[in-house]
Amino acid sequence: MSSVKGAATSQSYLLGDTLPYPFCPGCGHTKIADYLAQALENLALPAEKVVLVTDIGCVGLTDKHFGVNSFHGLHGRSLTYASGIKLADPELTVIVLLGDGATGIGGAHLLSAARRNLGLTVIVANNFNYGMTGGQHSVTTPPGAITSTTLKGNLEAPLDIPGTLLPSKPAFLARTSVFSVDCVELLTRALTAEGFALVDVWDLCVAYYAGSNTLNKETIAELMTELEMPAGALYEGTRPEYARAWRALYLPETADEEGMCYAPPDEGLSPVATSTLSQRTSILIAGSAGQKIRSAATLLGAGALLSGLYATQKDDYPITVRTGHSAAEVILSPQPVIYTGVEIPDLVLILSPEGLKHVQAKLGSWPESTRVYVEKGLVPGGGLATAATIVELPLAEAAKTVHRLAIGAVGLGAILGREELYPLEAFRVAARKLQKAKVAETNIAGVEVGAGLAQLR
Amino acid sequence: MIEFLEGNDAVVRAAIDAGCRFFAGYPITPATSILTGMMRELPTVGGVAVQAEDEIASIGMCLGAAMTGMKAMTATSGPGISLYSENIGLAIMGETPLVIVDVQREGPATGAATKGADGDICFLRWGTSGGLPVIVLSPESVLECYTLTVEAFNLAERFRAPVFLASQKEVGLTREPVDLAQARAAAAPPLARPVASPDEPYLPHGFAAPDEVGPLSPLGGPHLVRYTTSMHDQAGLLTKDPDVIAAMLTHYERKITDHVDEIARYELEEEAGADTLVVAYGVTARAAREAVARARGKGARVSLLVLKTLYPVPERLLADALAPVSRVVVPEMNLGQYVEELRKLADGRELISLAKMNTELLTPEEILTQGGLL
Repeated sequence: MSSVKGAATSQSYLLGDTLPYPFCPGCGHTKIADYLAQALENLALPAEKVVLVTDIGCVGLTDKHFGVNSFHGLHGRSLTYASGIKLADPELTVIVLLGDGATGIGGAHLLSAARRNLGLTVIVANNFNYGMTGGQHSVTTPPGAITSTTLKGNLEAPLDIPGTLLPSKPAFLARTSVFSVDCVELLTRALTAEGFALVDVWDLCVAYYAGSNTLNKETIAELMTELEMPAGALYEGTRPEYARAWRALYLPETADEEGMCYAPPDEGLSPVATSTLSQRTSILIAGSAGQKIRSAATLLGAGALLSGLYATQKDDYPITVRTGHSAAEVILSPQPVIYTGVEIPDLVLILSPEGLKHVQAKLGSWPESTRVYVEKGLVPGGGLATAATIVELPLAEAAKTVHRLAIGAVGLGAILGREELYPLEAFRVAARKLQKAKVAETNIAGVEVGAGLAQLR
Repeated sequence: MIEFLEGNDAVVRAAIDAGCRFFAGYPITPATSILTGMMRELPTVGGVAVQAEDEIASIGMCLGAAMTGMKAMTATSGPGISLYSENIGLAIMGETPLVIVDVQREGPATGAATKGADGDICFLRWGTSGGLPVIVLSPESVLECYTLTVEAFNLAERFRAPVFLASQKEVGLTREPVDLAQARAAAAPPLARPVASPDEPYLPHGFAAPDEVGPLSPLGGPHLVRYTTSMHDQAGLLTKDPDVIAAMLTHYERKITDHVDEIARYELEEEAGADTLVVAYGVTARAAREAVARARGKGARVSLLVLKTLYPVPERLLADALAPVSRVVVPEMNLGQYVEELRKLADGRELISLAKMNTELLTPEEILTQGGLL
């Protein structure tokens, strides 16, 4: 390797005045650093467009000897910084140099970067143990090996790094050793691969692993055979490189206006109607997940804004999506709403058994002035245990004439029809501004049916 | 144009207006809508948004992207902040501008995922090893989710430091009317990143006075950049020299602590002759405002201090606000965290901690009665 050593002192990628490397005499990391410098030289990449990303472990000390950009981060996380760098600037050549320790602790990052086929060149200096902390076993320690944490032999199966990544079909996977003549060639190929490239370089830790386990130039090749982890270029893929593919797919697109759209393209929610509401009024809507409670509450609030009122909305629901209760608190007021909580609701709408269960504990604290609109079938024979004024309405039955999921709109229609919060027209405008046409018309039909229901009684 | 927005929506809009062009996040209630919002909105302005494999990768990607020159943001909740912890230290060590949104939920551990709290306040301040200062802002409204997010980006650039937005479910997922044109007018103008001159040698951590913040030079730009998690000198080279280490740490500390008054955001409503001061932040400030209004309506004299900057602690401001009163009431949606900062300055004054962490908002009535405002 005399030619490589010559490069180390005369060429631009290694900073001659920082040498020699800080590694133990005979450590394989010295060779890997030299091979990398040689591969860079072969490609004559502009140094300012190369970023060498390393993390904690002896091999992480390599970066300061290179005359390229360097990012030396937390143990096992070099792939995450490298991913951010590449995603932000796909023109950069981003090299990740990590040990087998970092490979283990950052395993999720390795799998993810390979699955994305993100254009990183990953070099694993794989010396089968944690050298920096005194020779503990790692994810690649062979079976039976003696380390300071496998005193009677290693019982864990070693990770086949390229083999594990193979199903992701990244751009390039290879295995070699610091003693192999193809090392520079494989690193060069990895650097030019369009996508995720990894070279697993089996390496010698002379301070710990090699001594305890008689690993050397000859036995490293035997170990590959024994573990059925062959050397050489193992895979070349053709999937598109992620950072560029992402840009091609996403950057030309405009925002998707699925369902609720919170950026109305026109004049927003500027008033189209007026309200006679004279004081802060809180409305608690309680129903079941899947009843579109939250979007109905948003329409109630948006209708208020369209009537020149102020409004707030906050929701309450379990972490599950289509099961359990769903509740919303909406406050309407002619003045800005300062406190967004509801101490005693002025109006309550109960739409389902889950909704009733959700408010059950509070029923007793509500005064007569609280008016509770409740789906007819929900009230037990003895009535509800509350002083609040109960208004029973056949909301579900009425909703059937429109759409089962319009029950929230029907209930709100009843309240708007009775309570004179603001004109029905503002609710119609809110629905048409915020929802897709079909959903909006269903809700408008629902609110009208509900308002009629309230008038009849 | 009036819109009916959630706080998380306002964070997304503000980030884009502030010049954020990189976002990485991992789904977590109640912060997920910032992730999905950024995925939807960032591409429209040529930015990059990515769902990372975990929270560690989220913040790691942001740190890498930020060093290429992009303004970056990530968003999570308390469990994610736990996983960000080590990399928050790296943001400090590497002097990387980064906005971190914590839409807090009730904890510890998985806690109550869909319920609010302000239980992470001290965690944000002290949540990484080494004890160095960070900046924590706390919005009380959807409008402030906008204005303080813009401030967070500006402070991150100004001080080359991580800046937290301590939001929570009761702000991030509460909907209010907001006119974004007015919000933009009310917010500070976005600060462009100070960049090193390409014609001069570059020190990645250069400073003359300890509190001086040097410019950044992007990875891939005109200078070779060294960035490291290990203790280093101004050139970014590893050092074990105690004097150099002391100088670097003093720099990290004093670039923040020498500028407490510049970072402090607050509203102080002092009432002449008031004997009681209410100190509140976040959504609880709204209950405090209502309680103080009710107390004043009944003839009581009460002063109110609403803090938007929690850390660094604006000690001079607090001391001035405490001076005329003998009682201090501190309502918080946690077990009593920020009250400890007040205790350091109370100097014999009666200190009433109204700590409530049952997932419900403190009510104006609770502050009024338990705080003895009448």
